Amino acid sequence: MFARLANGNVGPERVIEGQATRLSRTMHGIAYDDRNDEIILPVALSGAILVFRGDAQGEAAPIRVIQGSRTGLIRPHTIAVDTVNGEIIAADPSSRAVLVFKRDATGDAAPIRVISGPKTLLLDIVGVAVDPIRNVIVASSRSRGPTGIMVFDRLADGDVAPRAYIGGPNSRLAHFRQLAIDPGTGNIFLAQQRTRPKRMDAYVAGSVGRPRQEYREPDSSEDSDFGRLTQTGFVAVYGPDDTGDIPPRAIIKGPGIRHAGAGGVALNPRTGEIIAVGGNGISTYLLPEFFQLLKRSRGPETETTPQ
Amino acid sequence: MKRCLALLAAAAALLFAADGRRAPGAGGGEPSPSASRLDAVVDYCFDAALADDPATAGAGPVNVLDDKWPPGAIGGEVEPVRMIADLHPTFDGLAVDSVNGRIVMSDENRHGLLAYDRTAGRAAEMVTEPLRHVFGPKTRIGFAAGVAVDPVHKEAYTVNNDGGDQLLVYGYDAHGNVDPVRYLRIPHQSWGVSLSNERDEIALTVQQSNAIVVYPRTAKGLDAPIRQISGVKSQLHDPHGIVLDGVNDEILVVNHGNWTKIRPYTLYDPLVAAGNEPYEPGRFFAPSITVHRATTQADAPPLRTIEGSRTRLNWPMGLALDTAHHEIFVANYGDSSVLVFGRTAQGDVAPARVLRGALTGIVGPVGIGIDTKNDELWVANYGDHTAVVFPRTAAGNARPLRTVRNAPPETPTCGFTNVSAAAYDPRRGAILVPN
Repeated sequence: MFARLANGNVGPERVIEGQATRLSRTMHGIAYDDRNDEIILPVALSGAILVFRGDAQGEAAPIRVIQGSRTGLIRPHTIAVDTVNGEIIAADPSSRAVLVFKRDATGDAAPIRVISGPKTLLLDIVGVAVDPIRNVIVASSRSRGPTGIMVFDRLADGDVAPRAYIGGPNSRLAHFRQLAIDPGTGNIFLAQQRTRPKRMDAYVAGSVGRPRQEYREPDSSEDSDFGRLTQTGFVAVYGPDDTGDIPPRAIIKGPGIRHAGAGGVALNPRTGEIIAVGGNGISTYLLPEFFQLLKRSRGPETETTPQ
Repeated sequence: MKRCLALLAAAAALLFAADGRRAPGAGGGEPSPSASRLDAVVDYCFDAALADDPATAGAGPVNVLDDKWPPGAIGGEVEPVRMIADLHPTFDGLAVDSVNGRIVMSDENRHGLLAYDRTAGRAAEMVTEPLRHVFGPKTRIGFAAGVAVDPVHKEAYTVNNDGGDQLLVYGYDAHGNVDPVRYLRIPHQSWGVSLSNERDEIALTVQQSNAIVVYPRTAKGLDAPIRQISGVKSQLHDPHGIVLDGVNDEILVVNHGNWTKIRPYTLYDPLVAAGNEPYEPGRFFAPSITVHRATTQADAPPLRTIEGSRTRLNWPMGLALDTAHHEIFVANYGDSSVLVFGRTAQGDVAPARVLRGALTGIVGPVGIGIDTKNDELWVANYGDHTAVVFPRTAAGNARPLRTVRNAPPETPTCGFTNVSAAAYDPRRGAILVPN
């Protein structure tokens, strides 16, 4: 945990770490519940969701753990919390699902709703956010087909089509991760690490006996997933009612975003700040205009039906 | 490109203005041991454009610096008002070559590999000069983890845990922005690596697949492993450090204790996993050291296991074996200690020695190695920009003999690498990031 005004090469103010925490050293999601003062994390390597007190420090044990055969969790990757309706929303790319739990669920608890199946367009789900005011759950998912932002009714359950989808060539969405929603406007923020799709791994997860037969060795120039400057990522912002193959309505791009890579994004609406994280850096941008309702101010857009 | 340099230099100035120190220069070209760590960042700006990936050509790479995109959008090329980053290397994996008097450590932060003379760290230096420093885009080094050395063929190995799943091999003379002499495609989240000259093999741990994979020493490209150990019986649970013991024909591994039966999850895998295996929920196990027969194939139980509350294991990271004195050394990250066990210990046993305390300078240790020729213990600290050297038998709150520094004394570390998510705590005005 770093102070909001931390700047430069500084250490964290507080760290939660060690065996008793049940954290792993590889986690790609986090949510803070400001109503109940709790920190929520998915642990991909143990199929678990951990909840800590907001002031936890050191080798603190979680106050609740969701894990077990009824949970449906395999590799929970990213997470959001709905403080209005008392729900935790986890996205699991291994189970190919968005799973909704009661906020106070603990142990081997079953999800109260699951969004999963071919109609959902969800596959490699790497970001999730919830807007309890406009009653939507928003997921970011990557596939060889529909790749972008899928918007669902908050109470969606089962194999249901998203009510909105932002993606396609004009969107330039490809290798993105975390989502955040500004509760005041419903604006949707997405952190995109780079504009080239994520490359195929040589091995299928869990199958280490031999490399994929279809794996193609890249040219040396395209081997790294580290961003070349011209193709590095951005933070994209969309209006709450946006859909289709559209470019973002607001963007943070260019060399300034390179250092943070833009794998994750968090918001501080009170100060108009956007926090972008990625690679080995955390960058804070002061852009209060991004927290105003973004209106349509450009030419015609293309509504698309995902294939 | 000039804009790239200027803005990155400005970013560096911003970073270093915070504590009043001078911003390092931002010169390009081949890095030298004394060159600015910012060079590694700058180097990435000069790469050629990438080819489209045919699998996803419709959404191929674009030039985001095109001022015309996105049309009508607000924002654009905005500079941050604040930035938290560590421009210095961090020490992670460590390997000792007693024969040639060389210590090699990986740098997960700036993506490099640093080699030191075994006597390094004698002087009260601000920063210890490495013999060799491999970094830059040609090297293919990403989020580097484990390190191994081959004293016979004079080669150093490191594993990309993320950011390009490769085992990378460099000659001892490699320096600067150079290609590896060979690379091997390996499973994602491989962490530890160990080489046995006796067996002429390399062994690696794979975190998310709870596996050990073994390759011929000279494997490269898409060569497949010749053996693998994985499955419930193997008791591999988020394995990290590894030793391929060619003397006793065993493989030793330290495990964090996390376990899930992972299914394919990438965008290239189908909606339903092939075979549709039965679902098994995730579990937490106690941290452990498991010892496997080196020739084991597939799912077989370990020969011995060290596990339980008396062991004091706590996020064990690096692992080293002293075959001369029959001892196992563990870099115990969770409580900033080094634990020493007998080679054949098993069960819930207390360590034979514990090295821990404020005087030791051990802070978040990740890498560990034994210099059997000179009877010294090396520990790489992720927590404070140092590696510390002790007599092999040091115990308790002992002072190190020497300290190798990759940054000036008291330089803080941010404590994270490869961070991909954030949350904001408005109650405390805090930015939260998972590692």
